[in-house]
Amino acid sequence: MKEKEPKIVCFSCRFSWGYLVSEEDIAARLENWIPIICTGKIDPVHILTAFRQGAEGVLILGCPEGDCHYQDGNIEARKRITLLYNVLQSYGIERERLKLHLGADPEGKTMPQLVKEMADTVRKLGPRSGDTPTQKKSATRTK
Amino acid sequence: MTDKKKVAILWLGSCGGCDETIVDINELILGVVNSVDLVLWPVALDFKYHHIEKMADGEIALGIINGHVRNSDHAEMAKLMRQKSQVILAFGACACFGGTPGLANLRSKEDIFRWVYQEAPTVINPKGVCPQTTTRVDGKELTLPEMFESVHSLDQVIDVDYYLPGCPPPPYLVLKAITAFLENTLPAKGSSLASHKALCDTCPRNASKPNKVAITEIKRIHEVEADPTKCFLSQGIICMGPATRSGCGESCININIPCRGCFGHIELVADSGAKFLSGLASMIDADDEAGLEKISDQVRDTIGYLYRFSLPISIMNQKKLQSDEVKSDD
Repeated sequence: MKEKEPKIVCFSCRFSWGYLVSEEDIAARLENWIPIICTGKIDPVHILTAFRQGAEGVLILGCPEGDCHYQDGNIEARKRITLLYNVLQSYGIERERLKLHLGADPEGKTMPQLVKEMADTVRKLGPRSGDTPTQKKSATRTK
Repeated sequence: MTDKKKVAILWLGSCGGCDETIVDINELILGVVNSVDLVLWPVALDFKYHHIEKMADGEIALGIINGHVRNSDHAEMAKLMRQKSQVILAFGACACFGGTPGLANLRSKEDIFRWVYQEAPTVINPKGVCPQTTTRVDGKELTLPEMFESVHSLDQVIDVDYYLPGCPPPPYLVLKAITAFLENTLPAKGSSLASHKALCDTCPRNASKPNKVAITEIKRIHEVEADPTKCFLSQGIICMGPATRSGCGESCININIPCRGCFGHIELVADSGAKFLSGLASMIDADDEAGLEKISDQVRDTIGYLYRFSLPISIMNQKKLQSDEVKSDD
């Protein structure tokens, strides 16, 4: 029986990723794809909501460093994500399940491959415990 | 018989601070007591729960409930109060958001029991005695409430009409809420009976906040001597003011302690912790990934800062009480 593909939510900035092709074209190749106008627009609320709704991993594709259409939205995103790692860890969600990738691909050809790589990483971590973070035992007790 | 409005005050999982703040209305409480008929107040008056059970549905005009819901007894009493009350006021941070005990939701019930009854260094329990819901002693059955898997806010268990946040709510707000109830001037159902502004808007240090806060190092309040005139965030000290509802009277700020967020989220914010994290990130001044990681590591217990009072209602933790959790309902 074929192993079920982990659910990866992919946010991508439209200024660097796939702007030369239609959204329908990318959506046909990527499940759970959310185009945005800047990674600086992504709020931790959106990422937590994705995990809450069962995402096994969240991949964020932003503009190359120093080349953000809105000056430094991608750097702002990186700051939020770095702080958010600590929160996710408390919920028993490994930091590998949230990734920010900065780069550019106007035709969006590499996007499915990047999502697949994320899925492979997540698969190695094993399944998340669904929507019951209180049941995770990964938090360590400090004596 | 009296035609005064009947008011009941109940505590569920709470420390007693909320009841204390009602007492702290001081002599004005005499006026309140004269205006209403108190039918339940376990901390101060000797009414029993069966007195409430015998009342007609909706007979109580106002049910004030403080504390979170953690066990079957809490849930049963909350449901009884809902049945007998026309208006339910969630009183204090625990009832409104789950409160500090809600941080226990980061651990499983089994983990908590194991630590408290076996593993904590101060515990000597060679027989591994652990409380059970039923125990037989001398042929008789003794029972204890069932502890739930997680801490719940009041509205995750029953329908709540109004919210009065704070840990505890300050006496002046308590009086204001009770006065609004007595004078029939309560706002729309579901409202918070506190300010609609963020604490930053009313903070006396607001004027000292620079246009752009640039944090290069995060310090904990006990590690530094904070300047009592300057914005905490501009000093690199985490203050939850930007993401917290105002109305507390800035009592912490006034004694040089940063806001910890006990008044909860501002209107229309789904998760104040996540929102604050966004704001904090934008204040961090780091040029590269290494510098960013370094500052991030300086935030000790991130989740404790962000959700000190609100973990049970946060995006990742919000869980309605499942009916099958309440065994006493069977």
